Amino acid sequence: MEVIQKYNEDELVLLLQRQDQQAFSYLYDNYAPALNGVIFRLVEDKALSEDILQEAFVKIWNNFSSYDPAKGRLFTWMMNLTRNLTIDTLRSKGYKKQSKISGDENSVNNITDAGSGIDKFDAMGIRKQLGNLKPDQQKVIDLAYFGGFTQEEISKEIGIPLGTVKTRMRTAILELRKMLKYT
Amino acid sequence: MEIQDIISSGLLELYAAGIASETETRQVEEWVALYPEVAAELKEIMIGIETYATANAVEPSASVKEIIFARINSSEIGRVIPIQPGGDNEFQQIGSYPYWKMVAAASVLFLIGSIALNVVTYNKFSNANQNLAVLRETVDSIQEKNIEMAADMNVVQSKYSMPVSLKGLEAAPDAAAKIFWMQNTGEVFIDPSNLPDAPAGKQYQLWAIVDGKPVNGGMILTSKKGDKYRIQKMKTFGKAEAFAVTLEPEKGNATPQGPMFVMGKI
Repeated sequence: MEVIQKYNEDELVLLLQRQDQQAFSYLYDNYAPALNGVIFRLVEDKALSEDILQEAFVKIWNNFSSYDPAKGRLFTWMMNLTRNLTIDTLRSKGYKKQSKISGDENSVNNITDAGSGIDKFDAMGIRKQLGNLKPDQQKVIDLAYFGGFTQEEISKEIGIPLGTVKTRMRTAILELRKMLKYT
Repeated sequence: MEIQDIISSGLLELYAAGIASETETRQVEEWVALYPEVAAELKEIMIGIETYATANAVEPSASVKEIIFARINSSEIGRVIPIQPGGDNEFQQIGSYPYWKMVAAASVLFLIGSIALNVVTYNKFSNANQNLAVLRETVDSIQEKNIEMAADMNVVQSKYSMPVSLKGLEAAPDAAAKIFWMQNTGEVFIDPSNLPDAPAGKQYQLWAIVDGKPVNGGMILTSKKGDKYRIQKMKTFGKAEAFAVTLEPEKGNATPQGPMFVMGKI
């Protein structure tokens, strides 16, 4: 990540709560590509993706007061908001989220490749490292974090019992964290 | 539940994905508030996801940011308008009722101001008028004096004027007078400023001595309301041996009767 940290997260949150547009500009510059990536892997359409991104940021600005730092990181909140907005948009357009993140093996690579619009993040080899995740691990991460799938849906999608979804997620994320540490 | 069990349960990962059930969510939030280790673990999970998302970032078009800022700025304005709540009546009151009131107040103020200004202006005008009259008088009198003095100077400075000094005699040894006799025209001017004021009912009379006999040269005015006459024109003489001034009754005499005050020979 080549992000130059101008604000720490606490400062950023404080400024955004005061409707500081400069802080919002910083927020956009630092997180819009990642959020756009989240949207893009669901919609696979550049124009639609950017429309949703636009909606997402307006929503982030207008609803910032509903963000509670005690409950999690800013990005997690924004990402879940953006993902849910994307799913809602797709539903209203008659899409089914299964059509975008399906359970077959190839889709895993497709999902990762969806981010190939920018190569600058490849520099650190993060994506290459992520490619080393076991397909099931990557799938569970994609479905849960990027697809907004419920536990039941994940269990059905991957074909594992509902009770093991949590533990599968745990191991997948642990693996992800391990990889990120070495990059 | 042990802290380690919480961490390894996978619930935190579920919670970070925003797909935990309501009960699970409440439970996690409780743990996070209670145990710093749990909070730290949740943070690590979230950073992991964040990094993963960043690695899969897709750069949006530059126009997207502009549109977003245009929208939040226009919605800022849009938000302010409904904030004037139930303010329609209130707004109208602010807008219309005090309007005529303000106009009336402004009119009254304007009238008072106008009257005051008129009074002040009238006073100034009167004062100015008085001052002007005084100035005019002063200027007039100065001009008058100037003309007189210019005439006097003309007599004195004329290259044809021959000055004749008349000296004081027994009746008034300190008295004196001057004659300016124009050699080209024979006009005679007298400067009586050094003659004592003539007593009431009396007047000085000029005489020219021609062929040994005194000839009437005219009556001399010495004072006019406290202001002395300066050089004045007398009768014209072609020739004369001397000039003399006597004090005679106001209308004068054909021959000198009264005392002689000054005399000068040519």
